[in-house]
Amino acid sequence: MFKLAAIDRRRFIAGTAALGALTLPLRRGFAAAPKRGGTLRVSVDQAVTKLNPLQTRVNCEYLVAELLYSGLTRLGINMMPEPDLAHSWSYSADLTEWTFKLREGLVFHDGTPCTAADVVASFEAILDPKTASPALQNVGPIAQVTATDKTSVVFKLSAPFADLPVTLAYTNAKIVPAAIAKSGLARLDQQAIGTGPFKLVSFEPERLVSVVRNEAYYDKDRPYLDRIDVLVYPDTTAEGSALISGDTDMMVSVQPTEYARLKNSAGVRTLKVPSGQFCNIILGCDQKPFDDVRVRRALALTIDRPTLVDFVVEGYGTPGNDAPLSSAYRFYADQPIAKPDIAQAKKLLAEAGYPGGLTATLIASDKPSVRTQLAVAVREMAKPAGFTIDVQTMPHSTYLDQVWKKGPFYVGFYNMQATADAIFSLLYTSNAAWNETHWNNAAFDKLVGEARTTVDEARRRALYADAQKLMHDEVPSIIPVFFDLLGAQRDYVQRYQLHPRGAVFRLDFVSLGEGAPKRG
Amino acid sequence: MIELIRRLLRTPQGALGLSIVALVLVLILVGPLAAPHDPDTMAPLVRYKGPSPAYWLGTDQYGRDILSRLLYGARATVVMAFLATALGSIVGAVVGTLSAFLGGRADEAIMRTVDAVMSIPSLLFALLIANLLGKSSVDAVMAIGIAFAPGMARITRSVALTVRKQDYVHAAIARGEGGAYIVLREMLPNVVAPIIVEATLRIAFAVMLFATLSFLGLGAQPPASEWGLMVAEARRFMHLSPWMILWPSLAIALVAIGFNLLGDGLRDALNPRT
Amino acid sequence: MSLSYLLKRCGLTAYTLIVVSLIVFAVTQVLPGDAATMLLGENATPAALAAVRDRLGLDAPIWVQYGHWLGGVLQGDFGTSLRTGQAVGPVMVEALGRSLLLAVLAIGFMLSLALPLGILAAVRRGRAADLLVGFVSYIGVSLPEFVTATLFGLLFADWLQWLPATGYVPMTENPASSLAHLVLPVLTVSVMLIAHVSRMVRSELVDVLHTDYIRAARLKGLSARAVLLKHGLRNALLPTITIVALDVGYLLGGVIVVEEIFALPGIGRQLIVAIEARDLPAIQAGALIMAATYSVVNFAADVAYAWLDKRIQYD
Repeated sequence: MFKLAAIDRRRFIAGTAALGALTLPLRRGFAAAPKRGGTLRVSVDQAVTKLNPLQTRVNCEYLVAELLYSGLTRLGINMMPEPDLAHSWSYSADLTEWTFKLREGLVFHDGTPCTAADVVASFEAILDPKTASPALQNVGPIAQVTATDKTSVVFKLSAPFADLPVTLAYTNAKIVPAAIAKSGLARLDQQAIGTGPFKLVSFEPERLVSVVRNEAYYDKDRPYLDRIDVLVYPDTTAEGSALISGDTDMMVSVQPTEYARLKNSAGVRTLKVPSGQFCNIILGCDQKPFDDVRVRRALALTIDRPTLVDFVVEGYGTPGNDAPLSSAYRFYADQPIAKPDIAQAKKLLAEAGYPGGLTATLIASDKPSVRTQLAVAVREMAKPAGFTIDVQTMPHSTYLDQVWKKGPFYVGFYNMQATADAIFSLLYTSNAAWNETHWNNAAFDKLVGEARTTVDEARRRALYADAQKLMHDEVPSIIPVFFDLLGAQRDYVQRYQLHPRGAVFRLDFVSLGEGAPKRG
Repeated sequence: MIELIRRLLRTPQGALGLSIVALVLVLILVGPLAAPHDPDTMAPLVRYKGPSPAYWLGTDQYGRDILSRLLYGARATVVMAFLATALGSIVGAVVGTLSAFLGGRADEAIMRTVDAVMSIPSLLFALLIANLLGKSSVDAVMAIGIAFAPGMARITRSVALTVRKQDYVHAAIARGEGGAYIVLREMLPNVVAPIIVEATLRIAFAVMLFATLSFLGLGAQPPASEWGLMVAEARRFMHLSPWMILWPSLAIALVAIGFNLLGDGLRDALNPRT
Repeated sequence: MSLSYLLKRCGLTAYTLIVVSLIVFAVTQVLPGDAATMLLGENATPAALAAVRDRLGLDAPIWVQYGHWLGGVLQGDFGTSLRTGQAVGPVMVEALGRSLLLAVLAIGFMLSLALPLGILAAVRRGRAADLLVGFVSYIGVSLPEFVTATLFGLLFADWLQWLPATGYVPMTENPASSLAHLVLPVLTVSVMLIAHVSRMVRSELVDVLHTDYIRAARLKGLSARAVLLKHGLRNALLPTITIVALDVGYLLGGVIVVEEIFALPGIGRQLIVAIEARDLPAIQAGALIMAATYSVVNFAADVAYAWLDKRIQYD
């Protein structure tokens, strides 16, 4: 009975959805200037607990921070840096000194001017370990920041670095007033004083964050919306239902299990973009049994990657090849996807000294739930080759405290980074901030290190291709699947594009078209 | 015992409750043997299927057979609930008896503390303890057991106090009955009866609490086929297949109804005086 | 009811709250992974962890932390949330208000159904109506809230589309929409209460109808209706007060799950979030408020019971 109803409805709505897809480009062509005004209601799946832009950690907090604050640069949909507070930049020949020019007449929400001194103070706060800003490890090898005049900022680097304009667009590298950066950052837990396109009206972490247009924003056209309400829906099913019923206008992330339902709902348009977000299985290369590359290869050979994409994300993803770059990255190198080969896996295990198979405990944090789904599926796939895997789930805080970066065998989950260098030197080089596999491969370090100081595109591509090949052969961690990012919106929401990075939203470009509800 | 079952069968609640609980016990004993499939085997091609001749109750997100998972999970679900209740009853009985035995100020202090603990809702209490202990079935059993203990302590204490003063005990002594007779025929049934009734009712509650803990991410963990966990997992997939959430929900409700009916039936059967 | 009784009850309530706070404090101290790990997540470097622990005062000995906390509470300050940096007290009180609205509506709805059903079942004892009420109430007490909530959501919000699935709209913003959003949560928490209370009312009334003085009243020649209304109900409904008060404990547990599912930012949801984040001040305040609510409601019920009981005796 349930089944029949579902199929009928799906078939019916599939027809109308196809029609919508046809007319869409046409309508876009006609819409010359975006309409101004209106309130957008965006839902997120988690509480927005941190308002301080230097300390935000999760996507919904990045979303709010992006509305209220600006960085020197921002990350385009194509993963290239775009001007934000800085309108241009230049670099020295050896890539160790970069100069950024600020726009004229920038002001904070409280009316005070925003100058190079504020930029310097903000970066000093970011680089101070006491601030505990995630940006510290992600903004690049910055040694010193100085203001040469009111609108010029010079970054002196400790090593040559080609990606600085991209890393400065990092989610946490936002500019705050110097006075606050120097004393009492805690003030920013309660109020927002930024230069962003919107100003904070109300902040209830568990329920609702409201922002209104910043009339003093540096761009006279944007933002197009008058107001944005960010609503918190801890239950994803509930979040989807709210969009279907029209309570909300947009979901910035959709669970794969909800996607089909939303796609089949009238008035809702689903969005999908391939991303470099992935789950991996960390194999501690410095501990038994995974210190033996044959054991790592054997486990990798048991995994049926396309099936795993179905199991874990309902097919909304692409199989991975144990290197952290997906096709969404600029320097992705295409390699054939490994096919499962149980016989070969058994042989490798026997050669490594485990003819009778081996037993291991695979740990998965409970957040997000794909970690457990992946672990349970891998457990079954590895069984025929002689791996007896015991899956153990634990609360995220316990996992961070006891397992992460320490354990020999667990499930990781990582957002896409802006550059190849960012993901390699975050996770896999010997001096990586989160060197959890302890692979410590000198050849790999050399490739990544050389690419980071190379400007020539073709040369860089070759270096990164070799690095990916090396990871594919040595399997420091199994990266079986990259996730597509999924979102959904009402038909009348215009100019919203899912960003593959996952942590960037660009809602200041969004406007409301015909049919949008009037909201007081 | 036979007498008790006969009395139990005379009331509609008792008869129905006993049948359901008996059925559940059979499932626990022979369920895995009767399961048509392996509960962990995944089948990529038959995910989210509704009921069919090959899969009587359909399949889940990995293409695993729901019926087989329910049959295997009966053991985990009901036995765990039973253990949690037993643990709570034992701890409660010890505290309650001790309190009644000590009497006076100690009794007052213990019972006030028990009252205080009871003012924390048992779900919240179990939630805190399960968070403290970790995430596993055993930890959830401990959490529920501890959360149940204060209530059981209260009941045991009041029972222990009344029985000690009962007329019929004095009467039996006056009649010159033997010690064994008094303990077995007069005291024991009166001490044990209310506790058994309460414990039976609490098993139903424990099944639900266990399921709720699993729903909140504590309790049983994947790939276990504990019923509450099955419901919790199925919630995410309910728009792909409502069957996945329906069957384990029904199973939980059925077991809870069974124990609730049996508890009420037992109360009637054990208290012929009222 | 003497003054000393009232004083004693107040003392007991205070004792209860201290025990609760000690238990919660003890439990949260041994939880693996502290608020600093949780706050920093994957960005925790040893230096950052130390800085945050220092800022939050997590390095002080336990008793110092407890003393500090207790001192604050006595002055009405529940501390600052480790997670959001906001003052815990006002946030929790606001959340409590939302939960109380849910609870009051649920109790009102429950009474309006449970009393007639219980009376009906008792008067028609052993007949079809009684059996039906009994059967339905067995199902009611045997469904965990998360199952009921899910099924209601599926039915009323997704398939029939009569009601909003979840979310919360403040009364002040839009009363109609606010109430519409409360319907499913109220229904969900009411189910088990209705089942429980209707059974209790039935059994109390059945007992009362068999007591000597009801028989005496019948013998006096009073009509069945008069007997039921004048003597039966009064005596049977009295214990219901206590039962409802005790059920508030269950209700408070129930709102935890219901608020989580329906995205209602009440005290239950605050507590779940706080427990996950190891946000000690928030857990403390939430648990204390719950325990205090329960104690106060039961205190009030006892006073009401004694007062009404006296009136009935001398009636």
